[in-house]
Amino acid sequence: MRDFDYLMPETVGEVSGLLARLGDDCRMIAGGTALLLALRQRMVTPTHLVSLARVRGLRGITYDPRDGLRIGALTTHAAVARSPLVRQRYPVLADMASRLANPQVRNQGTLGGNLCYADPTTDPPTCLAALEAMLVLGSARGYRYLPVTDFLVDYYASALEPDEVLTEIRIPAPRFDFGYHARFHRTAAEHRPLINLALLARRDGDVVGEARLVVGATTVVPTRVAAAEAVLAGRRVTAALAREAADIVAEAIDPVSDIRGGSAFRRDMVRVVARRTIERLVEQDSEGRIVA
Amino acid sequence: MSRVTIEVVVNGQPHRAEIPARRLLADFIRDDLFLTGTKRGCETGVCGACSVLLDGEVVKSCLSLAVQAEGHEITTVEGITSGGELHPLQASFAEHGGFQCGYCTPGMLMAAIAILNESPSPTEAEVRAGLSGNLCRCTGYVGIVESIMAAAEKMRGT
Ligand SMILES: Cc1cc2nc3c(=O)[nH]c(=O)nc-3n(C[C@H](O)[C@H](O)[C@H](O)COP(=O)(O)OP(=O)(O)OC[C@H]3O[C@@H](n4cnc5c(N)ncnc54)[C@H](O)[C@@H]3O)c2cc1C
Ligand code: FES
Ligand code: FES
Repeated sequence: MRDFDYLMPETVGEVSGLLARLGDDCRMIAGGTALLLALRQRMVTPTHLVSLARVRGLRGITYDPRDGLRIGALTTHAAVARSPLVRQRYPVLADMASRLANPQVRNQGTLGGNLCYADPTTDPPTCLAALEAMLVLGSARGYRYLPVTDFLVDYYASALEPDEVLTEIRIPAPRFDFGYHARFHRTAAEHRPLINLALLARRDGDVVGEARLVVGATTVVPTRVAAAEAVLAGRRVTAALAREAADIVAEAIDPVSDIRGGSAFRRDMVRVVARRTIERLVEQDSEGRIVA
Repeated sequence: MSRVTIEVVVNGQPHRAEIPARRLLADFIRDDLFLTGTKRGCETGVCGACSVLLDGEVVKSCLSLAVQAEGHEITTVEGITSGGELHPLQASFAEHGGFQCGYCTPGMLMAAIAILNESPSPTEAEVRAGLSGNLCRCTGYVGIVESIMAAAEKMRGT
């Protein structure tokens, strides 16, 4: 790892000023779990690290019925998972945060760091896309708001401007009564998901009112599959419907192909993950088959 | 070289140190404080051999800079014994075959402490999930899980 100066500013404005002045030689550090790997591999060689630890306004989780949930960017995955507010109002988000990576990374890694690194093989982007999260980006120039799906633009690329800091993640008031974030691993020993899929729905008994379905980790950015949502809407959930919608999902996405899995394999597994997740909308027996 | 001064409490003892900003927490613990119980394994966040507690929460010290621990409290495997007595988890690992070569053990113990802090009567599935950030290349995990389950029972006093 190259030598660097370590700076500890206290406001978003100061951070933004440093970023503007130092440019590419300057990197922010939150939990450090992603950045340290990049530093050690000399993928990035900044001369200055700007710690976000003392910056005001980047912490805390609050909820109000009008604005919904606000999560400070420095909130760790473990804190999201533990938060009574999140568990009560957005159980799908708390559950996702409690299962991603491993206990250590959940204690160290922040939600903001996860989003800004824009690593496709991670969980929060998919879940937050389904929840229609909005990101708050701050700089010395002021604040702007961007849907998470506009923020994540490509493989390890976000819409963050060079002088901007992600300050907050906002999620509108919940309007779904079902939510599940599925993670699929190629082997049990892997941490990062090969595929993930978030499904949210409003149900009336075993009939779907409205659904949100987003696939991630296996596509460069989270992919919402509106065609599958449309097929689910207004229908009674049966094994046949789950298969029909899963086929649509598998055909709609554009999977990456790499050492962890070719695109054909990924597409097949997306089909399986989609079917199983949709089946969760109704009661299943111990073998995972739909009852009645 | 860019240096920083940090104040940390390690195993109950306050330390003040001037270190390079780029010093990893794992290296600070081993090479500056000579607490070599904490191991370096993969140094990429995968194996968990470097696990320590930061304010009571288990973290990987290879994924953190020492300067990030400024103002915080660290517990390493050397800090879990009391008055020369093994921690109940350590005794249980020895009794139930929780290690062979022992390289993963300090990290496993720190993860195990975090598991029992969270739930004093964990299920086997909870123990396995709690160990998902720690690799062992010798035991096949069965002995480790048994050690933790047995220690949990002892520590509950049942
Ligand atoms: C072993 C391992 C397994 C993992 N497994 C999973 C998994 O299964 N699922 C999953 O979802 N993730 C997984 N991850 C990724 C994990 O979620 C991220 O590493 C973590 O959340 C990054 O957060 P951080 O605070 O450590 O970021 P840092 O490393 O501090 O920062 C990452 C990047 O974001 C920038 N940044 C940080 N905060 C901000 C901000 N507020 N504004 C602007 N820029 C910012 C930094 O400059 C840096 O470029 C894994 C990581 C590891 C090491
Ligand atoms: S040495 Fe830190 S996780 Fe392997
Ligand atoms: S006992 Fe050898 S690696 Fe676990």
